[in-house]
Formats: sequence, structure tokens, C-alpha cells
Amino acid sequence: MSKDSKMRATINQKLTEMGERERLKELLRAKLTECGWRDQLKAHCKDVIKEKGLEHVTVEDLVVEITPKGRVLVPDSVKKELLQRIRAFLAQHAT
Amino acid sequence: ANAHMPAENDTLAFSLHDKMDVVFYHVPSIPLCPRDARCSLQPVLSFCMMVMMTLLVSISDPQPVSLSRPPQAKSCVCHMCGAHLNRLHSCLYCVFFGCFTKKHIHEHAKNKRHNLAIDLLYGGIYCFVCQDYIYDKEMEQIAKEEQRKASHILSLALCLAIVFFTDFFPVVCVCVCVSGVGEKYSTWEPTKRELELLRHNPKRRKMTTNCTIGLRGLINLGNTCFMNCIVQALTHTPLLRDFFLSDRHKCEMQSNSCLVCEMSQLFQEFYSGHRSPHIPFRLLHLVWTHARHLAGYEQQDAHEFLIAALDVLHRHCKDDNGKKANNPNNCNCIIDQIFTGGLQSDVTCQVCHGVSTTIDPFWDISLDLPGSSTPFWPLSPGGDGSTLNGESHLSGATTLTDCLRRFTRPEHLGSGAKIKCSGCHSYQESTKQLTMKKLPIVACFHLKRFEHSAKLRRKIITYVSFPLELDMTPFMASSKENRMNGQYQQSVDVFNDNKYSLFAVVNHQGTLESGHYTTFIRQHMDQWFKCDDAIITKASNKDVLDSEGYLLFYHKQFLEYE
Repeated sequence: MSKDSKMRATINQKLTEMGERERLKELLRAKLTECGWRDQLKAHCKDVIKEKGLEHVTVEDLVVEITPKGRVLVPDSVKKELLQRIRAFLAQHAT
Repeated sequence: ANAHMPAENDTLAFSLHDKMDVVFYHVPSIPLCPRDARCSLQPVLSFCMMVMMTLLVSISDPQPVSLSRPPQAKSCVCHMCGAHLNRLHSCLYCVFFGCFTKKHIHEHAKNKRHNLAIDLLYGGIYCFVCQDYIYDKEMEQIAKEEQRKASHILSLALCLAIVFFTDFFPVVCVCVCVSGVGEKYSTWEPTKRELELLRHNPKRRKMTTNCTIGLRGLINLGNTCFMNCIVQALTHTPLLRDFFLSDRHKCEMQSNSCLVCEMSQLFQEFYSGHRSPHIPFRLLHLVWTHARHLAGYEQQDAHEFLIAALDVLHRHCKDDNGKKANNPNNCNCIIDQIFTGGLQSDVTCQVCHGVSTTIDPFWDISLDLPGSSTPFWPLSPGGDGSTLNGESHLSGATTLTDCLRRFTRPEHLGSGAKIKCSGCHSYQESTKQLTMKKLPIVACFHLKRFEHSAKLRRKIITYVSFPLELDMTPFMASSKENRMNGQYQQSVDVFNDNKYSLFAVVNHQGTLESGHYTTFIRQHMDQWFKCDDAIITKASNKDVLDSEGYLLFYHKQFLEYE
């Protein structure tokens, strides 16, 4: 594992252990619903299903279509806030 | 957890240790994958597929939480690359976690011919033969039940991977418990009865962005615009609308004089799709019966009507909850759930600084305006927080926020109004301050435009600017405590529960002697309509925000599920 992914894993471990990961997930969920991200992607899902046909579409089709769009549509303010929260948390619990 | 009798090769359920029950479910031998006959997993199933609801495990004692999280953190990673991201899946035949995105679980499935895996995040079951997620009714039911149980547990995360090898088959039990912060939302699914009703009533009403369902004029029965304007506001209160349209009122009143039933009828009329104005004569009659002071053909005060209507509805609602005693402090009727807030009053003794606190319920906040005979604290437009809610300051106009700041400012009760202090055991001068202890879901602000003092009766027409979005955080009792402790409450808080959106404005045109009420109501997020008795017209944001404003109705933006 590269150094980068090692660090990722360590951070994730810490976040999970302290339950912070779940709290952050809830925060993210709320923020993304609030800014309309969820609705945008839901609409996009519907479009994909219409395009591929309800009988033939697979979950993977949706994942492939939605993931890049979803990533792009996350507002910078939300990213900033999450990042801030993680930083603050790590600073608080640094070993 | 289910009543299937174990067959020859089945593994039975048991507890791992006292504190934790790992539940094993026996899935009967049915072809698991309905779409492809190749997937008939009969042989596998009869091997006893321990399909673990891997998402959630109900844990009776939250104590081992801190002990169980580290294992999850360490073991919930891909066995091939060690990553914890990338849509981790667990093989359902053996102990193997693999990422989906990097196809590690696919490799495993191919090499070992283990064709079923479960998504550790959402619990979806993937079939490598069908190359898609599959749905099994029994599994879905199990998942739902476990999720419901787990959501009662706060902040728990646990992952445990256990492998049991018996002589003939490996059994894997993987359970991951996802923390629940409150009750988890699950989409509505119709019951058998509801499906039946839907089949027998095939007519569907679709709410598109331009449909006018919910908009209906009201005939004026002789100066009854004071009632019409409130009816418009109430029929466009989302929660109230949902309550009545889902038929939640079960009437226990014997006579035909239940106002709640009449409201229910009213909602049916409003959302029927009929475009002709409705004639609310029954409503008017009931109001006259139950609120005598409002009877008669004179113009009445819309605010008084609102309070009287809420009061009667609240009294008639009590039977819905099976609460025999109509305890005003303990009622859980829909009116209280939506409209009742708590106003905190702190009286501080100027001598010993002891604080005496009371909390009173309220349905509305009445705000004094500049120009009234009560002294209005002139707050400079550039003062701190005055642009908090983005209100316009047309040449120094007063804002709603100004009025709220004045309402919640500490007031020195003069020497003529000394309070008996329990700390000093004597009458002392004191200051009094009002703050919001609990905010209602719908906050109604009443701008006191009608002055009925001994000297004069007049209408105050001062323009008060009000916002579309309102943050009540600065006026909360908790904010005041923070300020006193030197911390300043950020209104950009994580779960800021204090944000409100404007959804109805009642306006009064004219003078005290002869005037007319109209209402602006909000439909479909951003469309406003003006309701002038029988006439409904489209309005713009500007029309609404430029209006004088008498009663302002705000709705909480985020609602928690109870």
C-alpha cells in the first residue's frame, strides 16, 4: 500500500473508532439534501433508466453514470466544511 | 429469528457472547435469483446459506461499543488491496472482503465460484452470474427489520467477522452495525389494504410544477375576509395539509359541530381540483358557535380569528390522541405539534442577580412596531446582525429582525414594578428578558399594527421589511446563555434547527374602520399567489416582500422524524 493510502486507512480507522465517521456521514447527508444535490442526482437516475429501459438497466449502469456527475456536483462549500471538520477532529485527537 | 425448522445441513443460531446476538437466518431453498434460472442456488442454499443481515445487529448493551469499533476499523478492508473504500463487498460463502470498484471481489467470485456477495454499505446482494444486484423478498424483510432495530441504537459501529468451518461447509457470518442517529427514514410501502384501495380508485392526480391544485378562492360572506385570509394560510401549511389529506382525524364528537372535521372537509375542497370559489358557510357557522366573540357581520381582526381557530381546533383535536384530560401542557394534538412553541421569561433581580425562569407556551409572537405608543428601541440599521437575514434596508426601514431583537432585549422593570425576589426575600427592581426556549414548526409573527389604547385607535402603517428565510438562532434561550458565557453562537451550525422559510403573509389594506384582508401564499417552493377572497392571482417574490405585512407565517426548514 502506498504511503498515501496508508494515511487514508489510518485516518479512516481513527474516524471509525471514535464514531466520528458516522457523524460526518450524517452531516454530509444533510448538507447534500439541503443544497439539492440529492434531487439533482435522483433526476439524473431517472433519465438513465429511461434511456436504458427499465427492464435492462442494471445497478452498475447507474453507478457508472451517476458517480462522476455526483462527484462534480458536490458544492465546494460542503467539501470545505467536511474537510474542516475532519482536520479539527484529527487535531483534537492527534497521537 | 424465524420459524423455519432446521434441515439436515443447516447451521443453527446461537449467541456469540452475552452482550451480542448474532442472528443467523435460514433462507429456504428457493432460487435466489429470479431473473436467471442458472442462478437457482438450490444446492448452495441447502448447504445452509447463512445469509446474515450484514448491516445490522441489535445489541442490547451499548457498553461494548468502544471495544467493538476498533475491530471494525481494522478489519473492514479489502483482503487484496487493504483499502476501505471502493464499495467493499463480503463474500457470502467464505470470509473474504473485496472491493467492487477494483474488481477484487469479482476475481474472488470467479476463482472460487462463490457467486453471491453482499455490499457492506447498503446490504444489497450481488449475483455474479446475473451480474447485477438481486432482490429477494424475505431478505428485504429481514434487512428492514434489522435496520429498524439498529436505528434505535445511537452511534454504534461494529463489525465482526467470524468464520465457522464445519465438516461440510464454511459458514460466514459478517455483521456490520451502522450507527443510527435517530430513526432511519424508510420510504413508504403500501399495505395490502392500501393496494386494494389504489386499485379500486384508479384516478391519479399529478402535482406538476404548474398545477393549481390547492389553490381555490373563497367567497366573502359579508366582511368575512378576516376568516378567508386565515383559511388560505392554514390550507397552505404543509404539515397541516399532510395531516388532513392523510385522513388522520378520527372524530369522537357526537354532534356535527367538530371544527376539525370541518377543516378536513375544507382541505378536501381545496385539493379537489375544482376551480370555482368555495363558499365556507359551514365553517363560518361553526366559528360563530364556538367563538362567540367573533360572531356578527362586522369586520374582525384576522389575528384574533387565527388564535380563536387554533384554540377551537386544539380543543376538538384532543380526542385524536386518546388523551382524556385536556392538559394544556401535555397535549400532543396536531395543532400543538405544529404551532406551539415555548417562550422563556427570565427575571433577574438587580440586587442579588438571582434569575427566576418561567416557560410559557405560545402560538404566535406579537411584535411592537416603531411609532406605537410603547417605546420602541431605535436600532440603527447598521447594527450587528441586522443584515443577518438579508433583509432589505430601504432608507433605514425597520426589519423583522429588529423587532425580534427588541422583543428579546432585557427590559428594566421600573421601580413601580418591583418583583418579589426569592433570593433577597424582598421586593427588588429587576430586569426581564424574553427568549425562545422551543421553536414551533410553524412560527407566526403578528405585527401589532392596530393600536387600541384608551387615547386612540389607529393603524400603524410603518413598513417593516421581512425576509424569505429567517434564522431564529440569535433569539434562542440557548444563544443567550452562550452569549453570557462569552461564546458567540455561529448560525452556520451543523444541525441548525432554527432556519425558517416564509410561506404565507396576511396583509391588511385600509383603515381600522374599514379595511380588507388578503393573503400571499407559497406553492411549489418558489411560486407565490395572492388570495383576495374569490380571486387568486400569481404574485412575485417582490410583491410579497414589498407588502406591508400583518401576519407572517414561517415554516421550519428541516424536520426531524420522530
